[in-house]
Amino acid sequence: MKVTYYPGCSLEGTAVDYAASIAGVASQLDVELVELFDWNCCGASSAHSLNHHLALHLPARNLALAEQAGRDVVAPCALCFNRLKVAEKALLGPEGTELGIAYGGGLKIWDLLDYLTQDTFLKALPTKVVVSLMNLRPVCYYGCLVARPPAVTDKADYENPENMERLLEVLGTQPIDWSFKTDCCGAGLAVARPDIIDTLVHRLYEQALAAGAECFVVSCQMCQANLDLSQERISRKFGQDYYLPVFYFTELIALALGHPDTPKWLAQHVVDPMPLLKMKGIV
Amino acid sequence: MAPNKSRGKPQQVGAVMVVGGGMSGIQAALDLAESGFYVYLVEKKPAIGGVMPMLDKTFPTNDCSMCTLAPKLVEVGRHLNIEILAPAEVAGISGNEGNYQVEVVQKARYIDPSRCIACGVCAEKCPKKVPNEFNQGLSARKAAYVLYPQAVPLKYAIDKEHCIYFRKGKCRACEKFCPTQAVDFSQTDRVLHLEVGSVILAPGFQVFDARKKPEYGYGRYPNVLTAMEFERMLSATGPTHAHIQRPSDAAEPEKIAWIQCVGSRDAAMGRPYCSSVCCMYATKQAIIAQEHDAKIRPTIFFIDLRAHGKGFERYYQAAKKLHQINYVRAMVSRVVQNPRTHDLALTYVDETNRIRTEEFNLVVLSVGMGVDPETAALAHKLGVMVSPSNFVSTGSFTPVSTSRPGVFACGSFTGPKDIPESVVQGSAAAASSARLLAPVRGTLQKEIAFPPEQDLADEPPRVGVFICHCGMNIGGVADIPSLVESARTIPDVEYVQENLFSCSQDSQNQMVQVIQEHRLNRVVVASCSPTTHGAMFQTMLRNAGLNKYLFEMANIRNQCTWVHQGEPEKATEKCRDLIRMGVAKARMLEPLKYLSVPVNKRVLVIGGGMAGMTSAVALADQGFEVHLVERLEHLGGNARKLHSTWRDERVQVMVDAMVAQVEQHPKITVHFLTMVTEVSGSVGNYKSKLSTGQEIEHGVVIIAVGAEPLRPEGEYLYKEHPNVLVSLELDQELARRTPRVKNAQAVGFIQCVGSRIPERPYCNRVCCSHSVENAIRLKRLNPDMEVYILYRDMRTYGEREPLYARARELGVLFFRYNVDDPPKVESEGDKIVIRFVDTDLQKPMELRVDLLTLATAIIPHQNAPLADLYKVHLDADGFFAEAHPKIRPVESTTTGIYMAGLCHFPKPIQESMAEALACASRASTILCRDTLELESITSRPIDENCDGCAFCVDACPFKAITLLEYMRDGNVKKTVEVNQVLCQGCGSCMATCPKKGIYVAGFTLEQLEAQVDAALGIS
Repeated sequence: MKVTYYPGCSLEGTAVDYAASIAGVASQLDVELVELFDWNCCGASSAHSLNHHLALHLPARNLALAEQAGRDVVAPCALCFNRLKVAEKALLGPEGTELGIAYGGGLKIWDLLDYLTQDTFLKALPTKVVVSLMNLRPVCYYGCLVARPPAVTDKADYENPENMERLLEVLGTQPIDWSFKTDCCGAGLAVARPDIIDTLVHRLYEQALAAGAECFVVSCQMCQANLDLSQERISRKFGQDYYLPVFYFTELIALALGHPDTPKWLAQHVVDPMPLLKMKGIV
Repeated sequence: MAPNKSRGKPQQVGAVMVVGGGMSGIQAALDLAESGFYVYLVEKKPAIGGVMPMLDKTFPTNDCSMCTLAPKLVEVGRHLNIEILAPAEVAGISGNEGNYQVEVVQKARYIDPSRCIACGVCAEKCPKKVPNEFNQGLSARKAAYVLYPQAVPLKYAIDKEHCIYFRKGKCRACEKFCPTQAVDFSQTDRVLHLEVGSVILAPGFQVFDARKKPEYGYGRYPNVLTAMEFERMLSATGPTHAHIQRPSDAAEPEKIAWIQCVGSRDAAMGRPYCSSVCCMYATKQAIIAQEHDAKIRPTIFFIDLRAHGKGFERYYQAAKKLHQINYVRAMVSRVVQNPRTHDLALTYVDETNRIRTEEFNLVVLSVGMGVDPETAALAHKLGVMVSPSNFVSTGSFTPVSTSRPGVFACGSFTGPKDIPESVVQGSAAAASSARLLAPVRGTLQKEIAFPPEQDLADEPPRVGVFICHCGMNIGGVADIPSLVESARTIPDVEYVQENLFSCSQDSQNQMVQVIQEHRLNRVVVASCSPTTHGAMFQTMLRNAGLNKYLFEMANIRNQCTWVHQGEPEKATEKCRDLIRMGVAKARMLEPLKYLSVPVNKRVLVIGGGMAGMTSAVALADQGFEVHLVERLEHLGGNARKLHSTWRDERVQVMVDAMVAQVEQHPKITVHFLTMVTEVSGSVGNYKSKLSTGQEIEHGVVIIAVGAEPLRPEGEYLYKEHPNVLVSLELDQELARRTPRVKNAQAVGFIQCVGSRIPERPYCNRVCCSHSVENAIRLKRLNPDMEVYILYRDMRTYGEREPLYARARELGVLFFRYNVDDPPKVESEGDKIVIRFVDTDLQKPMELRVDLLTLATAIIPHQNAPLADLYKVHLDADGFFAEAHPKIRPVESTTTGIYMAGLCHFPKPIQESMAEALACASRASTILCRDTLELESITSRPIDENCDGCAFCVDACPFKAITLLEYMRDGNVKKTVEVNQVLCQGCGSCMATCPKKGIYVAGFTLEQLEAQVDAALGIS
């Protein structure tokens, strides 16, 4: 399968480990990710807090390019996905002509998780699994931008998405259900208001532990960063000793399918997942 | 099939099809069958009953739902002129009003109903478990099943979808074990082509699927239930036998939360309307839950508390004050589960604007009503227009008529509503059909035939005793097996048995057989109250060939187990005594001759408003002579002051049309400037004297005298400031587009003036909608006008809810005030200043308006004189009291007297007219008969003992006794005579007579003495 790939800026920066696992998994799943030619930053949160026109124009340009490429486009970053969808709605709506960008709207914009949990992939996975993840007890953490607001994202199950759980079940684990899978982690406030991150993420740790989980699985690199980078700080602040590794869902696929480079990507996490994986007999 | 007694092929058909066997359809079917039409009752499920059997208790009386419904179910099941087709569905329709051809697919139930005795063995042996839909999936049934224990018809069915034989070709255990070879796998669906004169659609509603709101965790968190699931949990026949327990661990919950408006008032979900009943049912569930377990602490999270029906506001206030139910005005956006305890945390903003999180052991979602896709498809197939929410589009003046002539609709299909309104609409639809088909009344009816009554001559008494469990009501308290044992030892008792539900059709049939087999000639049923099922059991005796007065009831429920729930041993002993007393009397019962009176088919309608006129025309169109008495010199009543309805229909046009119809109708005589001054007689034979001196003899009377608006003098500057109006006055000004309305820059409304206060603890139902309608009109007149509405709860119920949303969209501002600190109003020249504390902002506010409208209470007229004349009751607020708030909403306790419209309770025009039609329907069940059977439990003088002292004459409250003299052996003999029609068998005469000169048949002194002796254990 061939699809246009819009990595977004952070996948080339702080989330290179995510990018690497995506590339690795793509090859294992026979997906050809064709990077969008001449793509630009989507503007994420900075643009839409400063200038409405700029905020639409940045992602709209990418969509026009994607249309020229003639394929659906998939975005791993939840913020990029959200901004691309906003631009799509604007281009196809009454504001469309003002933007001055020609766009027919014949392609579908996917977030990576949705794309890789399509039926064709889920059906093909079980035969490819070589490593058992049976003993792992994760909670799925979807974050918010991939689902909300539903009028933008076109998601039907924005209150209780379950595709990540389905994926993990197919890979052989039993993800644990909990009430916080779409709660906000604080996203881009990580730099300006780390205290808010502390409050929100601390609650996520506590709730995950209460549910009986020992790790998170995420699909958004912003969420991964907030859950991973602040774990030590939050532990100190609340007098706890949290050990909750945060996996990208692509890393779990790669682990289950036996990709040799997986340890390399995992080594780039701040909270080292290796002790957990060793204890569970996965590595 | 209906026997066709007409000669040749009639243009109209004297049969009606009712689609849907819920409460509304049942009422329509009964009314029609009782007034001369043959009825096909088509029901999708294998049994009728609809949603009502699933309910535990009903508000506002907290009566057991099944108890109020069962008599009607049994009546339908036994009725010669109602043919139940279940399971069956309507496939298509052709023809015109008066003559429709309907294609009905009668689905196979794979069990031959003529052989099935409902023994239950097939279900016992069936290996396939299926989630029990009646119990909302909380328990399992088998593929061979009966819908619910008291189902009518009480026949089993095999669920083809799950049956192992149909799916895999194996098993057939049911067939093997069925004692009557009733299982028939070769059954196929049959297509019936039925001819009817009209069709009534009563398909009911579907409960909102709470999985569509996953933020509440339904289907994910075990301790989140829908209200329907909780209702089953409260029920004795439910999955936990009325034990309230959490699904996750079967522990008893202490803190239970209800979340209102799930799937209602939710435009984003495509459900913008209000479901009308949920505020009340949540209140009821909270009260009943506490009755089950005193440690339960309920909290109800709501937006507006809608207690807008008769008796509802009192019920709600009692819930708050007496039962201490915690009402929190806050909407909960999601439910969070504690993974360790499975408790549920709800976060909300309280009334002091603080964010709180509270944990509950159980959460109940108050799910709303909707129209299911199959029903919507049926409407489409039949060419019936529906609203965007798929409710049938009806007009305010034709509340049960659809867009297709001859096809009527009733119940929740015309909009979310509660049981009494559904019953009213069922009767109204029946009246509409009857009006259409009056020329062919009686042409397709079958006639009833009881077996001949045995002549008992000098047979010794052979008493049968039937002891009822009544589910858990009696069986859960008293030791029934022990009662059976001791009953067997009572002399003259030949047969004793216990029943789970004596009122179920199956039990009735079985008891008839037992009576015949054991040659019983006296029957004692130890169960509930005679007012509940007495008449039904009496008919059972007639079906068994016994005089119906050879029957005695021992009330071991209402008078025993319901009262002594906490003392089961003592309760059992009391039951034992009551049964012994019942037998003591039963042995002495004698057969009584049946009495009947001829029916005068003339109708008296009191009140010439919309309700009175509607009843008059509905009956006159059927050929009955109607006299309409009106106090004023014109017809139209309060409707004359209204401009438009909430659907923007122009009222005066309709009033004029109706007035013309009445005044020109050959069968209606209107008496203007007239009131009723004297009344004598009883149902079938009333004599009412009018103030004009004329005497009218009539069979029934319909009271529709209306009500009046409260004039709140001294309140809110009414009558002190020229710019303070009441709603009806604003209506007039809007209609005439007066300058002060057109030029006003700001208009204010104050709701609940004189309502919902201790002096008048009822809600007036119409005012919130009325003010919202007027607010919208004002905004349309001048979009820049400021419009403010000060309210306590916004009660724009049903499909009026979108009006409330529309008003907000147009910029009408709504402020909530507290009844304990009401707004204060001051004059400021031409303007009026309103000062109040807004409860949401918790801040004092000041509004300056040019016009202030007070939404005031509707108060009853001085109804006591009229009530006294006809000996009917008024309720605590002075409105006419109906016989039963749920299932007999338009009848008084006295047969033959009906009520409709505002004199019963405040309501909008469409509901008044529906009630008026319902009165016509109920009345026609009497009017279409030539004679009416009377009670034989009346007093009889014993001439030898009577010396004419006449003490009894004064004692009789019904003035039924007269003193006579006659010559005997050359002397004057005084004696008394009793009018058997007026006599109500109260016994006052017998209690007064010092000479044993008068007795009440069926309650003789000897019988009563025998009961007392039995109670004391003397005999």
